[in-house]
Amino acid sequence: MKRGHEETWDPTPHPQPPSGSCEGSSMTDNIINGKMADDNNNMDELLEVLGYKVRSSEMAEVAQKLEQLEMVLSNDDVGSTLLNDTVHYNPSDLSNWVETMLSELNNPESSDLDPTRICSDRSEYGLSAIPGLSAFPSGEEEEASSKRIRLESVGSWTDPALTRSVLVVDSQETGVRLVHALVACAEAIQERDLILADALVKSVGTLAASQAGAMGKVATYFAQGLARRIYTNDVVSSTVGPSLEEALQMHFYESCPYLKFAHFTANQAILEAVTTARRVHVIDLGLNQGMQWPALMQALAVRPGGPPSFRLTGIGPPQRESSDSLQQLGWKLAQFAQAVGVEFEFKGLAAESLSDLEPEMFETRPESETLVVNSVFELHRVLNRTGSIEKLLTTVKAVKPSIITMVEQEANHNGVVFLDRFNEALHYYSSLFDSLEDSYSLPSQDRVMSEVYLGRQIVNVVSAEGTDRVERHETLAQWKVRMGSVGFDPVPLGSSAFKQASMLLSVFAGGDGYRVEENDGCLMLGWQTRPLIATSAWKLAESPRE
Amino acid sequence: MSEKRIRMVEKSNKRQRVKLVHKFSINDHHDVLVEILRRLDGPSLCSAACVCRLWSAVARNDSIWEELCFRQVSPRPSLPLRSIVSALGGYRRLYFLCIRPVLARLPKIIWSREQLQLSLSLYCVHYYERLHVGAWLGDAPPSSLMFLREPVNVV
Repeated sequence: MKRGHEETWDPTPHPQPPSGSCEGSSMTDNIINGKMADDNNNMDELLEVLGYKVRSSEMAEVAQKLEQLEMVLSNDDVGSTLLNDTVHYNPSDLSNWVETMLSELNNPESSDLDPTRICSDRSEYGLSAIPGLSAFPSGEEEEASSKRIRLESVGSWTDPALTRSVLVVDSQETGVRLVHALVACAEAIQERDLILADALVKSVGTLAASQAGAMGKVATYFAQGLARRIYTNDVVSSTVGPSLEEALQMHFYESCPYLKFAHFTANQAILEAVTTARRVHVIDLGLNQGMQWPALMQALAVRPGGPPSFRLTGIGPPQRESSDSLQQLGWKLAQFAQAVGVEFEFKGLAAESLSDLEPEMFETRPESETLVVNSVFELHRVLNRTGSIEKLLTTVKAVKPSIITMVEQEANHNGVVFLDRFNEALHYYSSLFDSLEDSYSLPSQDRVMSEVYLGRQIVNVVSAEGTDRVERHETLAQWKVRMGSVGFDPVPLGSSAFKQASMLLSVFAGGDGYRVEENDGCLMLGWQTRPLIATSAWKLAESPRE
Repeated sequence: MSEKRIRMVEKSNKRQRVKLVHKFSINDHHDVLVEILRRLDGPSLCSAACVCRLWSAVARNDSIWEELCFRQVSPRPSLPLRSIVSALGGYRRLYFLCIRPVLARLPKIIWSREQLQLSLSLYCVHYYERLHVGAWLGDAPPSSLMFLREPVNVV
């Protein structure tokens, strides 16, 4: 690799003064020198023209290392610090440059790139992000015993032979430690201290494994989210198909009263709004399995004066090629409608995002039908792009519904500061998992699947950013402001809804902890003292706003 | 009544050949039986259904169960409800699935329209689930009402 007349170029790269111009000059030097290269040294000619000297035989190796380097550098936290603080090596000797960059980023003392060992005497941030290594420590990896971890400072683990046993500690104590570890890890991420965060997330894994019950499960999911946030940038959760998502939601429907509460209270609000209508058209922004509509159809069928004709427009995710689940769902609902004697019409709309919807797509017939828009846990997903929610609400306003029913999670998981979001989510999902824990004495498939369903939400809230983060829950107060600003007035939910909800909860197994509250015309369902979901109803404001 | 009959028979026995007096057997008059059973409460009705095969068959008459379901509800629900409930599986199933567990949980409940509506909603959900939902839920029976009770085999 060393050519005779290349004395200006050091065979072993030493730190050179960082400056762009210096690099540039060395680049031009190399280009000039490169033109004088002879082919005997097997340098890749194409790269040589650009000024890089890479042996053809080493190309594959260098390419792989470049990939690794790119992955590491693409992590913004690391890359920016590197670029600012690190000295720049001569990049012309590409192979060595890549080598040294990588070795600087990884532990210098371990060539096998063991991520569990972190050197504490390094001044720069570093990250051993190795593709393919499981980010979340499994039980068989070496872990420091929980007693040895101090949360305030990170010592260096010089002893490679760490004990594998997990100490059994008092679970109360572990629970508290668990929460502290989680919060400390989130704080570390907030402060961009990834070494500390890395250590803490492993300690959380250990503690969570030894903690039985709801707390352990919640902690496991949060640790998963944190680990994903620390180690990788890809969001894997979006690869799950919509049918699995719907299946998980069905299990969630069965095992706890939240969705039933949502459906029944929304139905009651709709019933009260369409008492005199002869034709009812409901637009459901998230059809899923359509569990809400049989009950509404039955209620319409027995109302005095006979049933109206019922038209449903269901919106779902884009269909895969072979399946047409929306139409099949429509068919099932039509069969039900026939059984109860309600005239039924169905239309399915597949939309990638709700903001893609236009008023014309609904084909409303304003002169003959009463329009209802229903959204259960759908509106918050639209907050991931700026302007989407306004567009959606404008579309909704344009179709002139008589009533809009909305059910959303009662939590603020859309704050700008990560740490605040994390703390909110921790409290919210702890309550939610607690309520699941009590509802059955034995674990069932429903409960397990519900936990998976909630776990995916947790991972999304904690680890995703930008448009990938769809679980952007906001509180009722925030939604009130938003709806008010678009031009909707609140419609108070009647006492019937409250009574039905109360009765539903009183017969629910383990229902002692559930609470229904009425909050300024909206109904909230909560566990113990914490409200978890809120139902509200809206109509177009009377007077036009500017 | 049976005493009178016995005396009648005895009396007539004293004459020569007993004129065949048709014993009044409740089993011959199903409508009367139904009327009587309609006035029973749940547990008694179930006991009655265990008496004999005939009574078991008669006890499946849905109007008996309708009475049981709506006894405490005032005002009486409208007539269209009957056809709907029949379509969804009948009053007997409604009672076993939705109403009895609620009564077991809340014995002092005063049935108002709201409670009735809730029971019917749950019943609808159960029906919908039973017939239409979820090949991907596997062979598990619909469990939307599991939260109400332990499994009861409702034929």
